[in-house]
Amino acid sequence: MSIPIYTYDAIVVGAGLAGCAAARELQKAGKKVAVVTKLHPLRSHSGAAQGGVNAAISDEDSIELHEFDTVKGSDYLADQDAVEFLCQKAPETIRWVKRMGAAFSRTSDGKIAQRPFGGQSSPRACYAKDRTGLTLLQTIYEQAHRAGVKFWDEWYAADLIYKDGKVSGIVAFNIRDMQTVIFNAKSVMFATGGYARSYKINSNAHANTGDGLSIVARHGLPLEDMEFVQFHPSGLAGNGVLISEAARGEGGKLLNSDGERFMKRYAPNAMELASRDVVARAILNESREGRGVGPNKDAVYIDVTHLGRDIIMQRLPELRDLAITFLGLDMIKEPILISATAHYSMGGIPVNIAGNVRRNNNETIEGFYAAGECSCVSVHGANRLGANSVLEALLFGRFVGKTMVKEIDGIELRTATQADAKTALDEINFLLTNNGEENIAKLREELQQCMTDNAGAFRTEVTLDIAIVKIKELRIKFKNIRIKDKSKVFNTELQEAIEFGHMLDYSLFIVESAVARKESRGAHYREDFDSRDDENFLKHTMACMDEEGNIELDYMDVTLGKHEVKPRTY
Amino acid sequence: MSTNKITTQKVNFKVFRFNADEDYLPYYEDYYMDVTSGEVVLDILNRIKWDHDGSFSYRRSCRHGICGACAIKVNGRSTLACKESMTDMIELFGNKLTIEPLSIKRVVKDMIIDKGDFWEKHDAIHPYLISDVQEHPEHEHIVTPTEAEELLEADLCIQCGACHYACPVTEINESFLGPAAFAKAYRFEADVRDQSHDERLQELHSEEQGIWDCVKCFECAEVCPKDVNPIDKITKLHQMLFHEGVATSNVATRHAVGFKNSIAKHGLLDEGNLVLYSEGPAIIKHIPVALQMFKKGKIIMPWNMPKSDKLDKIKKLVKSSSTAKF
Repeated sequence: MSIPIYTYDAIVVGAGLAGCAAARELQKAGKKVAVVTKLHPLRSHSGAAQGGVNAAISDEDSIELHEFDTVKGSDYLADQDAVEFLCQKAPETIRWVKRMGAAFSRTSDGKIAQRPFGGQSSPRACYAKDRTGLTLLQTIYEQAHRAGVKFWDEWYAADLIYKDGKVSGIVAFNIRDMQTVIFNAKSVMFATGGYARSYKINSNAHANTGDGLSIVARHGLPLEDMEFVQFHPSGLAGNGVLISEAARGEGGKLLNSDGERFMKRYAPNAMELASRDVVARAILNESREGRGVGPNKDAVYIDVTHLGRDIIMQRLPELRDLAITFLGLDMIKEPILISATAHYSMGGIPVNIAGNVRRNNNETIEGFYAAGECSCVSVHGANRLGANSVLEALLFGRFVGKTMVKEIDGIELRTATQADAKTALDEINFLLTNNGEENIAKLREELQQCMTDNAGAFRTEVTLDIAIVKIKELRIKFKNIRIKDKSKVFNTELQEAIEFGHMLDYSLFIVESAVARKESRGAHYREDFDSRDDENFLKHTMACMDEEGNIELDYMDVTLGKHEVKPRTY
Repeated sequence: MSTNKITTQKVNFKVFRFNADEDYLPYYEDYYMDVTSGEVVLDILNRIKWDHDGSFSYRRSCRHGICGACAIKVNGRSTLACKESMTDMIELFGNKLTIEPLSIKRVVKDMIIDKGDFWEKHDAIHPYLISDVQEHPEHEHIVTPTEAEELLEADLCIQCGACHYACPVTEINESFLGPAAFAKAYRFEADVRDQSHDERLQELHSEEQGIWDCVKCFECAEVCPKDVNPIDKITKLHQMLFHEGVATSNVATRHAVGFKNSIAKHGLLDEGNLVLYSEGPAIIKHIPVALQMFKKGKIIMPWNMPKSDKLDKIKKLVKSSSTAKF
């Protein structure tokens, strides 16, 4: 039976902030565009962003300060030309999304309210209570929908059609009935989100399985800076669900078992509002040294009781609700328990500022673009500042959409053939029919435990080597799996199996890149090399997977600029 | 993961199972599990899938009550699985819990339903801010906090569908847009930046969409996991329709006005007269019911209609709050 081929000018994979923003640009420019997403667009994880979105819009702030904070926060690994673009376009982007309907909180004189966030010289995070991502996602989806963008929701993008330096579409199947389709297009954008789901304790949605990254990597294309995984300081103890940095931004204090405000020993000036990597390590260190709290002594307290009921209800209502649901603790009355949680992916699919995906250090791929958390521009370098991620997704999503509009007429459509779907069909067929003994849920648990234990906020060559061995062992076990569900209707077990395959592949990129980076920078902290080594490692990792599944490493220069590389203290 | 004392209880889950691809009829599967305090309903769904039966299917993503994917029913009550604590469920319903999809007649597989009707109705209210979007604005528009607060948290709706499939009117009346769609409509009607306020309001008033068919049972407010309180938004839209003179005289609006007239006159509800006022000459079709009501003493003759002893106060309140023009 032959597979239907649908032809478009542009296909966007993923319907979060980046995907919807790009699709809207393409649609408004009269291009035939469709968004393919494995969820309904409004379920995308952008909607879970809580605390805010940065833009230097107040009189006390400046774009240059925003740039400086971002570059310093990145531990100088960010490309400064990209950071400049991000910070300069931020105020306009915020005004634009507000015009489209975003419901920001207001100051008494009717301007967008802003709050302090970690690593920022000025209150810069524009917020909508503690559900900023929700209003942004709703707004951009609504306006893309209003513009007439076609959404293929609950469709799973299974493969990229890539040959000879050119992308010409994707292969996808309908999760509802397994109907497979080739979307043949002049250009494809990946906006598939992050990869922290490979850790046991993480703040991510179930959907954040990094599919886009592994799909790209399996074509032998590079992934950049994969070792940089951000551990957010405040996940709810036990399950990692996020408690926004807004809790600290509004004045939350971190306390250990002695009731000591321990951040004074780690970041005497910025205290709780040091950058995330610094605060996360401080929290983990407190529990390592026996000053943790909670049943397993692996958490610390965050105390916002001094803010009082009114401010908490006005600015942090969702956070309060989460702590009540998951911990049974009311932060109006008592401190709550938090610990570091795998949160954000600084690394990803390498792109230039225009959003073109890199084939290697010097060339880009025709007809292929990426934006948002799945991409690495790099504006976050080794550590992202809070409230810069939704900004990146919305802003680059939009501008990469504009790039696509500009370039699309110069791209010739390469007609798809049935053979283009072979890899995806073989993968599905193998997973459905393989009659082994291993179970996906168990293997996934082993991977997540291994990544948290060995490739977490603290790493050494020894732990990372353990992780490499384990991932390779899990790959062999994965070849021996069996799924029970053989049906074609919402086969979520099959989907979890495909996703687990992706998690295995990109996890190997994380650990292989981490073991080779013999220094500590931003979120990548090597206990056996505990200082930054600019001489050898002020450069981006570019890793590729060969046909046997082994990782080969290369490096790419960082684009430096006016913000001089200096030691980083808070 | 409660930090209070951790307790464990044995619970029997009766779980609705159906696969449109394989099953002729749905059935219920029994699972017995130890449930730890601090678990939420989604943890149970995950454990069924991961520990017992990989084919069990449900929608889920964010796992902390913001994406709206995992709404289901527990013992017939709509809930968002990732935000519903098992301890509360056991306290409310005991140790036997029935897990079902939001709407059994729309099931595709296990907990997964076809939500086509929900999204169609969502789309029907033009669910986006209608304004000329300036693509590169140089200045910020001022919106005062008071204006911003007019949304009354309607923008917090996550489109989970819990209220839509709990609403008794949605269940029997296909054209009723449902509480979620009306809450969304209110979200834009209350936004000072929206430029299609009048057009959307006119459309909402049309009888086919049924904004007047809400029976005010409060089920939507009861089940909403985000406290959006959809019925409050429906009432606000009713008030907006009167206030802005959009409401025209029809049986539904006259029902509202007749209600007010009765309260203004007596301080109490005169049921017989309310029907007469709402229906006009069409009241003739209600004669058999009226006779039965009369026999049971439910219809009071005008000369016997009692008055509230606080009538003066009530009259003042009605006068100050009513905007009806007929």
